[in-house]
Amino acid sequence: MALLGKLQIRWSLIPAIAACGAMLLVLSGLAIGVYDEQTYRAQKVREATAQGEILAATVTAALAFDDRPAAQEYVEALRVNSQVVSAGIYNQDGALVADYARDRGGHADPTVALHPPAFVGRHLLVVTPVAEAGQRLGLVAVRIDTDPIARRLSRYVGLGLLLFMALLVVGVLAAAHAVLTRTNNDLADANRNLQDEMHERERAESALRQSQRMEAMGQLTGGVAHDFNNILMIASSGLDLMERTDKPERRKLLIDGMRQAVERGASLTRQLLAFSRRTSLRPEVIDLAAQLEGMRLLLDRSLGEDISVALDLPPGLWRVKVDPSEFELAVLNLAVNARDAMPGGGAITIGGENRPIGSDAALPGDHVALRITDTGSGMTPEILSRVFEPFFTTKAVGKGTGLGLSQVYGFSRASGGDVRIESEVGLGSTIFLLLPRTEEALPLATPELSPVTRPPGAQGDVLLVEDDEGVATLVSGMLTELGYNVTRVDCAAGALAALEANPAFDIVFSDLVMPGEMDGIALAREIGRLWPSLPVLLTTGFSPGVAAAAEEGLTLLTKPYGIGALAAALDGARPG
Amino acid sequence: MLWVLRMLGAAVLSVSTGAAACAAGSLEAPVKATYLYKLVPFVEWPAATFASPTQPVVLCLLGGDPFGAVLDQAVRGQKIGARAIVVHRLARAEKAAGCHVLYLPAPRAPAAAEALQSAHGAPVLTVTDQADGAGGIVNFVLRDNRVRFTINSRAAAENGLTISSKLLNLALDSRAGR
Repeated sequence: MALLGKLQIRWSLIPAIAACGAMLLVLSGLAIGVYDEQTYRAQKVREATAQGEILAATVTAALAFDDRPAAQEYVEALRVNSQVVSAGIYNQDGALVADYARDRGGHADPTVALHPPAFVGRHLLVVTPVAEAGQRLGLVAVRIDTDPIARRLSRYVGLGLLLFMALLVVGVLAAAHAVLTRTNNDLADANRNLQDEMHERERAESALRQSQRMEAMGQLTGGVAHDFNNILMIASSGLDLMERTDKPERRKLLIDGMRQAVERGASLTRQLLAFSRRTSLRPEVIDLAAQLEGMRLLLDRSLGEDISVALDLPPGLWRVKVDPSEFELAVLNLAVNARDAMPGGGAITIGGENRPIGSDAALPGDHVALRITDTGSGMTPEILSRVFEPFFTTKAVGKGTGLGLSQVYGFSRASGGDVRIESEVGLGSTIFLLLPRTEEALPLATPELSPVTRPPGAQGDVLLVEDDEGVATLVSGMLTELGYNVTRVDCAAGALAALEANPAFDIVFSDLVMPGEMDGIALAREIGRLWPSLPVLLTTGFSPGVAAAAEEGLTLLTKPYGIGALAAALDGARPG
Repeated sequence: MLWVLRMLGAAVLSVSTGAAACAAGSLEAPVKATYLYKLVPFVEWPAATFASPTQPVVLCLLGGDPFGAVLDQAVRGQKIGARAIVVHRLARAEKAAGCHVLYLPAPRAPAAAEALQSAHGAPVLTVTDQADGAGGIVNFVLRDNRVRFTINSRAAAENGLTISSKLLNLALDSRAGR
């Protein structure tokens, strides 16, 4: 940039340099001309002086002895020199003794005085004294012709032509420079305009993205609201119906329905968070074939009767390490999408194959390719380019959240894999879920934790820190059910006060996000400082808290959770 | 000094040039007077003749003085190089020993003849008004009312004098047809 600046400064000097060059040329041309003219004149003076001196030397005796015929003879001898216009011989009195004129009828100057050679008009007049042995005898004047001005000028034609050509070159260069400068300026203007346009386009694109986001928000809101309304509908109608019946089997049915609705709600929020990539995956080593076999029932039920699902998994598929629930969700999302692409029914094939290192440039090692193929409508390239965008959907409001494929994408990337789509309009789509191979062994099957109702107070005292009244009531009920004595406070400061009063709690179970100056993490830190042996279990539904808690090394239970998960988490948090 | 010289020269020359227009009789003498000293620059004496560069040129008259004061006026202040011109009027020939220029208005007179005789072989420029063979080296002649001269080169050579070609060119006998 500095170089460019310097260059531009030098560039701008060029007209001045050109002008200086032209002036120098003109000056040097004039100097050469003047010098030539001077040389010419000096030569003429030399010639004339020599002529005068020769005449003066020869005419001495004639002057001394007043021999006019002799003087005339001498002066006439100048006739051989065509340059001599006239010549005169003057005695010591200044009177003309003899003269010669080249032109017929011409005369020499009637009188002359001794003076240095002088140019008079076209002529050069040289006056030479006549002396013999120091004796002054008179004067000789010779008037010689110089070249006519035209002839003299013609001598400079070559020089002038050269000068003219040089000036022309300077002029052409200056003009070229001017054009170049103008072009340069035009280019700079064009560049500026282009940059302005680019900025304008960036603004427009940003505005477009914003509007797309708003559109997506609208779609999401519609979808989520619809789903949640269904869940709430099930819950509220279930509660209404429960109030009106005392039959245990009827109540059991209603409770199951409501629990399913709640699970759907939880799954929905998990999806939302997954797409915002705020959930931390809990990867486990899984056997894909077994996992998918276990999903067969779920798939059949979710997809409806006119969709057939075929599993085509070769034996010996490599193990992968992924979050099983996210994996199931991804498969389910892909299956649901496939179903939606086949409104008149069709077949979904889930296949898989091992792909060794090098078969896909984007993946650095061995991986397993899971293939979900449908016989549906396929996708246009425009849609293909956008399918992984969050909230992008081709489905009607209420039919989809636009988060399905986005979850698939987020899951695969977070697991160290990738997604590929092949689709052709009218022929269906194939989606490849690429997951990296793991060498780790499958975990031993752990028995499902079943919540056991224990006698009240058998598990000890728990300090529950929860600001939400409804949640607190429910969680208190679950804790009591698990055999804990529950003391509940609604903020961190209250918890510390309760602990001051009675530090003999067995565990603190605290929400992570709470009103007041301290949140759950700060509370846990403070408890760890004051009562190091007192275990703390945190819970939250808000994902950033998960990462923060993990950084602090705190045990965290993610909302929503069931009574079994709560029991396990409490047991895990307590030492021994 | 120079301007005085020039004034004097101008005065003498005006006399000399005036001679052309007027009757020769009245002006013949002054013209000859100026010619006498004007001859000097065109003549070269042997190197031994003068002891120093400033030694005056001695102009001698023997056998009469046709000029009077005119000659003295004409030579006064005249310099030939660094040499002045002095005029000696001699009564006898044997006095002519120190002369460089010897004017003999009447060469046939015995004293003049003797002087011419004795000057033969000596570095003396003899001047007479006698153009025939009996004259000196330079002999004044009246021609077309003008004072001209003849030069006897042989006599000059015998006297060891070198006479400038410029002067020789003006001499009547060296110029055909005049």
